[in-house]
Amino acid sequence: MKKKRKFFTAKTIGYIIITISALIMVMPFITALFNSLKTYAEFTAVPPKWIPSVFQWSNYPEVFKLGNFIDYTINSFIVTILSVLGAVISCSMVGYAFARLTFPFKNMLFVMVLGTMMIPPIVVIIPHFMIFQQMNLLDTLTPLWLLECLAQPFGIFLMRQTFLSIPKDYEESSKLDGCNPFQTYWRIFMPMVKPSLATVAIFTFMTKWNEILAPSIYLTSNEKFTLPIGILSLGGQWFGNEQYMVAAALLSLIPILIVFMFAERYFVSNFTNSGIK
Amino acid sequence: MKKNLSVLFSLVVVLVLFVAGCTNNSPTAENSSSDENDTSNSKEEQVTINLGYYSGGKSDEKMQELIDRFMDQHPNIKITTQSAPYGQFFQKLDTQIAADEAPDVWLSDGVLVMKYAERGAVKDLTDWINRDLEKEDYYGLDFNKDADGKYWGVPQGIQIGALYYNKDHFDKAGVEYPSEDWTWEDLKEAAAKLTLDASNKKPKDEGFNSENIQQFGLTFFSITEGWFSVLKSYGGGILDDSLNQSIINTEENKQAFEWMVDGMDSGIITDPADLKSFQSPMAVFPSGSAAMRIGIYARVLAANEAGLNYDVTLLPKGPDGKRFSPVIANSWVINDSANDKKAKAAWEWVKYWATEDEVQKEWAALGEAVPVKKSVANSEIFLNSSDTPENKEAFLESFDFAGTLDTNAVWGEWVAKFNEHAQRAFLQETTIDEALENADKEVQEILDEFYNEE
Repeated sequence: MKKKRKFFTAKTIGYIIITISALIMVMPFITALFNSLKTYAEFTAVPPKWIPSVFQWSNYPEVFKLGNFIDYTINSFIVTILSVLGAVISCSMVGYAFARLTFPFKNMLFVMVLGTMMIPPIVVIIPHFMIFQQMNLLDTLTPLWLLECLAQPFGIFLMRQTFLSIPKDYEESSKLDGCNPFQTYWRIFMPMVKPSLATVAIFTFMTKWNEILAPSIYLTSNEKFTLPIGILSLGGQWFGNEQYMVAAALLSLIPILIVFMFAERYFVSNFTNSGIK
Repeated sequence: MKKNLSVLFSLVVVLVLFVAGCTNNSPTAENSSSDENDTSNSKEEQVTINLGYYSGGKSDEKMQELIDRFMDQHPNIKITTQSAPYGQFFQKLDTQIAADEAPDVWLSDGVLVMKYAERGAVKDLTDWINRDLEKEDYYGLDFNKDADGKYWGVPQGIQIGALYYNKDHFDKAGVEYPSEDWTWEDLKEAAAKLTLDASNKKPKDEGFNSENIQQFGLTFFSITEGWFSVLKSYGGGILDDSLNQSIINTEENKQAFEWMVDGMDSGIITDPADLKSFQSPMAVFPSGSAAMRIGIYARVLAANEAGLNYDVTLLPKGPDGKRFSPVIANSWVINDSANDKKAKAAWEWVKYWATEDEVQKEWAALGEAVPVKKSVANSEIFLNSSDTPENKEAFLESFDFAGTLDTNAVWGEWVAKFNEHAQRAFLQETTIDEALENADKEVQEILDEFYNEE
């Protein structure tokens, strides 16, 4: 009986800690939800009024009146999906080459790839802008996803490490079965690195979905804006329309939450090299 | 899995080809302007210009309407537009200027006109202004004039500083509304009566806690709506008339700083740490947490939206009776690399904006800026554009003692550096003497780096 009570207490404390932690994580979202349903006067009120006196549900339709949010969402999806596909394919290919193939200057090239991780994106924005200008691609969505298809250093690094951890036996077996290097990569190795591919996909998704710098540099027409720029454009120079911006930001979270719900198991699971006897 | 991956790969290829195909076949706004320009060359009389502006929420619709009307009136000029939120617009503009891809005409924040002018990015408009505009008819033309007398832009709308006050707070405390004869000392005296700590005690009451204020006498932040007016009305300032020499380390500035630091120390004026507890530094007055603020005209938008009972008056005088109101003349500027034909078409747009009464009136009705044309600014359209503030004349009277924020090519850099030292003094992390001495030295270094290299 005594043991049972002790267990109960430990479990209760555990639940309390977990509940408090969950509340800490969820509170900003609840606050944002309430803020999105306030008038401007309530939004700026001091001391803060946590729950609006009248829920301004009209703030949400207003967001759609103030900007082309359907267009912004479609644009964000196009950019994000193409970036994710591009990143997954290119990073896995390059990572595989660095991990499994032999070619001249391999290590030096890999160090150079890692070196590019140290360069802040703002530094290369003008050269990139000029290149896309020459390619007649300004004010299109292409510059936003094309760079992802040219492989990203973090993704390459992650995929290389993952491919390195796969035992050589697989490669040898596939060779015996008549696979060429591409077939080995595509048919044997790719199915085994799904968690890492999912990690690259999720990171790329989150980065591109929230990206502000590149769209603000490359895009010019309002109908081509992506969601983050669309949200920012709700505010003026002088007067923020903050309650609408919060409402729009919450709306923009919905797709990313859906993606995370589906991809979460890949995100947290670990690759295990089972199958070798 | 094999099948899934094959489908994935095929999808990528198809999507890439699809989007690449779309890209090549659908000209961009900028591309269309150049394509149309080719056409226009063949037609001779047609010219297409690209106009850039920072989007301002509800004002975008009006801007597009005015552009459409301009094109109706000028069938030989076609305008393509590009806009972006304020911060992103100027970030992109710098990139575009570097790549020679900037719009032919754009709306510049008033404090950035000289940055573009002194770097050769915008056209000298002196001859055209002298030829086509009656200077006496406009507010703010001179705010884009450099030390050599050259004009670099034509104001689109003007922001000018005034003293905002919350009538309810004054009534409740039994304090008389601010008068036009106030000095900064008078303001501080009244502000002390309007300041309340968390337990409703005033600074003169025993046990007043200056660390926990619920209502400030005056809110105050940064350059335009903070220290610049005080420094100037105390006879000090940041740069001399050449705009490339620092005059920070002076006795006048020291006196002004003593006034500010004392007010912050006693809890009457918001210090930089106080501002962090609000949604934004601009939100203190609209939230009703301050009885007064130094504010530019556009702050009426937030105050009206918050439903405050407030009015405005002239900013106070310094100890010697000197007064100063900061001005930001947001202006149209024309790209220096625009060809002659485009530049002339862009000038037609600028003239349309400045001279057409209807354009000025409709823009004034948005309530975002003081109209550039004096006849419109002094008309009922502006003066009665909203119920509050009643005394809009105060903004117009302030032009008698208005000046720019010592804007030059490196304005953003020196303001950031000065703010850094001013904040240390405000938070009493350093003495006023040290802050002024260090700010003077480091601001001068920034100025020398740009102007001595030229």
